[in-house]
Amino acid sequence: MAEYRTHMKIIGDILSTTRDDLQDEDGATVTYLIRKANVSHSRLSRMLTILVSQGLLEKVNAEGSRKYKISQTGREFLQAYHTFSGFATNFGLTI
Amino acid sequence: MDFLLENILNLLGFLVGLGIGIVSLIGFRNTGSPTLFRLAIAFFSISAGFCVIWIGYMIEDFIVQSGNIERWIQTLGIAIQTIGYFFIAFSHSIKSLFPKSRYFRSVGIFPLFLVSSVQIEHIFRSVSFILLAYGAIETILSYFENRNKGAISVAVGLSLLALGEFLGWYSFVFPESILYVASTIIKIGGLIALFIPVSKIPLTKIKFDEDFD
Repeated sequence: MAEYRTHMKIIGDILSTTRDDLQDEDGATVTYLIRKANVSHSRLSRMLTILVSQGLLEKVNAEGSRKYKISQTGREFLQAYHTFSGFATNFGLTI
Repeated sequence: MDFLLENILNLLGFLVGLGIGIVSLIGFRNTGSPTLFRLAIAFFSISAGFCVIWIGYMIEDFIVQSGNIERWIQTLGIAIQTIGYFFIAFSHSIKSLFPKSRYFRSVGIFPLFLVSSVQIEHIFRSVSFILLAYGAIETILSYFENRNKGAISVAVGLSLLALGEFLGWYSFVFPESILYVASTIIKIGGLIALFIPVSKIPLTKIKFDEDFD
């Protein structure tokens, strides 16, 4: 059975992909993120809009395609996410 | 002896609850996670409950000196702690029973009607026991899923608190027995076990961004 992922977990997966798992230094394309973060196109689009507006991701126009890179705020958020994800797991919970 | 142990227990409970509550609140402010918000409410409630009883004992020790803490203060403190235990169990119930339901996430607390006038404190103790036992079982189940060692410590802590609440409630049947002292010592052990994994959270590495909502 597929594991249920919370909204927060999906955001963590998207940010982790843009930080650790990039194809090149320009950033990740939407198609790449759909495959790596395992979310639908419509949901990913909504989430990317929010993440960019919150300053966690940066939109880059490279070689005629839109790409996304993690920002410094995004890196700090991801660090906090991993820290407190472990904290919640100690209590048998997921954030 | 009882008074000294109660003082230690309630002061320790206040500090441990406050510590875990602050870590949860920092987590909520940094991630916006509703789970961490519920944990913060839970542990601030538990901390406040212990604090109320501790203040009751201090007032009794230094001002009233009647030999017994006011019953209503003890009941109030235990009631506030029970709210905290409820939120821990509530977080587990959301995760286990309603992972996708927005409706149940939005429900904060349901009204609790108490019609009995006898020993409300013991009703709260029995409710606390059930909530703590449920929290401990869910925590140990999560350990089997992801093998996180911190979960064992939390599960042991919640189990000891549950056992302490049970013995505290059972001492109602055998007042003046060793049960109450045993209950207090077991609860102190439970609080220490609960704090062990939390003490390993590297808060110093987290940089706070005040503008981030």
